[in-house]
Amino acid sequence: MLTKQIKQNPIEYLALLFILITGAVAFILCSYHPYWQRRIIYATSTAYFAWSLYHHHRRGDLDVSIIIEYLLFALFAIILVSSTLI
Amino acid sequence: MKKLSLLFIPQSGNNYRASLLQPGFLGLFIAIYLLNQSLLKSITIIKPGILGYSSEITVEKVLSQTNQQRQNNNLPSLRFSSDLSQSARLKAEDMFANDYWAHNSPEGSSPWDFIKSTDYQYSVAGENLAKDFYDTPSMVKAWMHSPTHRDNIVHLKYKETGIAVVNGVLGGIKTTLVVQHFGTPLVATTGQPTAEEKQLNSLPLASSQVLSETQQDPVVSSPSISPVAISKTLGTIMFVIIIGALIIDGVVTLKNKTKRLAGSATGHIGFLLVILMLMLFTRQGSIF
Repeated sequence: MLTKQIKQNPIEYLALLFILITGAVAFILCSYHPYWQRRIIYATSTAYFAWSLYHHHRRGDLDVSIIIEYLLFALFAIILVSSTLI
Repeated sequence: MKKLSLLFIPQSGNNYRASLLQPGFLGLFIAIYLLNQSLLKSITIIKPGILGYSSEITVEKVLSQTNQQRQNNNLPSLRFSSDLSQSARLKAEDMFANDYWAHNSPEGSSPWDFIKSTDYQYSVAGENLAKDFYDTPSMVKAWMHSPTHRDNIVHLKYKETGIAVVNGVLGGIKTTLVVQHFGTPLVATTGQPTAEEKQLNSLPLASSQVLSETQQDPVVSSPSISPVAISKTLGTIMFVIIIGALIIDGVVTLKNKTKRLAGSATGHIGFLLVILMLMLFTRQGSIF
């Protein structure tokens, strides 16, 4: 499932990998600085949402239901991680 | 059983998309989590001090590990100063009393005001703050990773330090504040060192002393319920359920070659796994 999707759009999934790795590295580098870690999570989730719009637009299946789905996943991540930062 | 399969397995009954991955259920997860957060917040307001972070930090350990860091940088050890220790304690108590977490108080008092209030005459001075840390090594490590805090610890001009480890309730949550003041006296100290100074200045580096008598506080000995641990547990359960549903949904869809309009399972799984790792490995503690 995973490999099939990646093989179909390798560049787009590489871009996603870049977004996620950059976000993770920045988050770790800002350890003990919750203010900055929160902003990194906002940025990573926003970048993921933007990636999804581009990805589905290219595939030609960008729909309101898909936009809502990604929006909820991004929101879910932001809320959960932000609340554990002290 | 049928209802359970609808949650995870795509089929005609759920429009070929696991119910858990549909907007309604995702919204429900978010609502449950927000409810939990509201409940925790309410507890901090109604019963301040029930939730909190336990700590095993002591003045001796902070002093010892600060000097260890200085020794690693070929710098002389800092002498323990009772005056700076007193100013650090006043600062910590002021933060608890006025419920703030910053170098400057809401009334505008700076760290230097607290130092001056103890009649400590200095040529240079500095302040490091930390809260919510469980142990001293992770706190000192966090300071050393921050350029501004590191500069205070390994500053060539500083000769003395004073440390306060104070327990109290900040923002409704029981925690331990650590205030470390650094300074160089304007004139060389001529008075006799206090008993506390004698004791602490004779400590070997990186020693692991037990909590000193002056810091023992019955409030800390009782274990606290960490609000972060509660949030992390609930969050992890939700993440695992959603990732599990994504995997099952993806595999079944691929197996049945179902054509449908849905987000990328690969993208969602990758994103959620990274976020889950970051949430799990977030280290406790905050510096200022």
